[in-house]
Amino acid sequence: MPEIIEDTLIRLSAALGERVVASRRLVAAIRCGGRPLRSGTLWRQDAVVASEQALPDVAEAEVILDGGQTFAARVAGRDRGTNIAVLRLDGGPQPAPHAAATGPEPGALVLAIGADPAGGVAVRLGAVHSVGPAWHSRAGGQIDRRITLDLRLEQAEEGGPVVDAAGGLVGISTLGPRRRVLVIPAATVERVLDPLLTNGRVARGWLGAAVQPVLVPDELRTEAGQPLGLMVIGLTRGGPAAQAGIMMGDILIGVDGAGLGSPSELAGMLGPESVGRQVQLRLIRGGAVQALAVTVGARPVR
Amino acid sequence: MSALAAVAYSPRRLRVAIVAADPAIAVRLAALALDAGHAVVDATEAADAILTDGCAEALPGAPIVGLGAAERDFAGLLPAGATPAQLDAALRAVAAGLGVRPLAILPEPRFAPLPEDGSPPPTSREVEVLTALADGLSNKAIARRLGISPHTVKFHLEQLFRKLGAGCRAEAVAKGLKRQIVEF
Repeated sequence: MPEIIEDTLIRLSAALGERVVASRRLVAAIRCGGRPLRSGTLWRQDAVVASEQALPDVAEAEVILDGGQTFAARVAGRDRGTNIAVLRLDGGPQPAPHAAATGPEPGALVLAIGADPAGGVAVRLGAVHSVGPAWHSRAGGQIDRRITLDLRLEQAEEGGPVVDAAGGLVGISTLGPRRRVLVIPAATVERVLDPLLTNGRVARGWLGAAVQPVLVPDELRTEAGQPLGLMVIGLTRGGPAAQAGIMMGDILIGVDGAGLGSPSELAGMLGPESVGRQVQLRLIRGGAVQALAVTVGARPVR
Repeated sequence: MSALAAVAYSPRRLRVAIVAADPAIAVRLAALALDAGHAVVDATEAADAILTDGCAEALPGAPIVGLGAAERDFAGLLPAGATPAQLDAALRAVAAGLGVRPLAILPEPRFAPLPEDGSPPPTSREVEVLTALADGLSNKAIARRLGISPHTVKFHLEQLFRKLGAGCRAEAVAKGLKRQIVEF
């Protein structure tokens, strides 16, 4: 075998090992009573970030950091929308500041590091599979970039840090549909961290309506100005939409002068700042286009 | 046909070895294996499959079914409250070289994106076809109900499968319109 190839591989392997050594101080093992171990990321001296869907519904947990130091922790807040939970540590080490990642670009190598039940770290190496624009989850959260990874992850490793080749923190790992591995970007974590630590939740606009994309009837397409609308197929009794007089079967086609043809457009107008705001909805009812004012409420907890 | 099938495959009793650190649990596992219709043997080398609670340190080479051992990497994993029928199915599967996981051990993650903006909603005709599909009708019966040709039904189904990301009829019904409904 030519010597040079062996050299490159050995150097690559050694460099990956060094990255893991440098990043493992970010990995938090979360123990909730006798339940299976979960992973988290030491984000600040007193705050560990975890995957909301993976964290059992507990008030307190034990956090074990690199080197075996154990801290008592309280679950300070959870947000289903962005799938982020925050645990506040009692005490906590002074973490060396972690470098923010630039990018990442598709094809770049990243390491997803989680806690291993035996006390060490569980490391996955893979490429960035795809990078897309901001997106909305079904639970209404906005995630700053859509980053998927070409690697496999166990539920126990979900929530650990994802670092790039330069050691920069890309975000935390999580599992999406079909157990594909997604990254919750660092920017998204930064955005919800303080609201979660202070209030235990992230405020989000709420209408109390279930909608489904439908095709606008042909004869109304010109007046509606768009081919798609959102049909109301469920209303929460006493919710903002019901109080404003929205009825089952209404097809929403616009809000405050802008078109409304997809769930993500509706999610986009229901961010934290929308609570209490009055909006003008444009809708199709009984074969005619009409307008209705709705005051956006606050999404109830769970 | 039935005689041929009987010659080709007849289920036999398996020899099941029990491995557990706690003798009381070993007795309970042995009773479960017997309930499932199999023979319990002492020697793990002679066993077709091994039944364990996952607490034993060293485990021999035969395919293993772990009862209530969700964290272990066995060929077969069953929840602690598995029925005799499930245990029988799992033991036979691992003895035949297959892996067994209950659906509940690998839950579909809750974190999911909104329905893709790019995928147009089903047309009203496609919704009618989907409803007929949910009623369990064949392509021919759907064609009769809607007064269209079976060829057209097939066309609508292909469009539906594509829009819903479904691979078969059952999946299309299961995903149905549910996938598109979002609460705000």
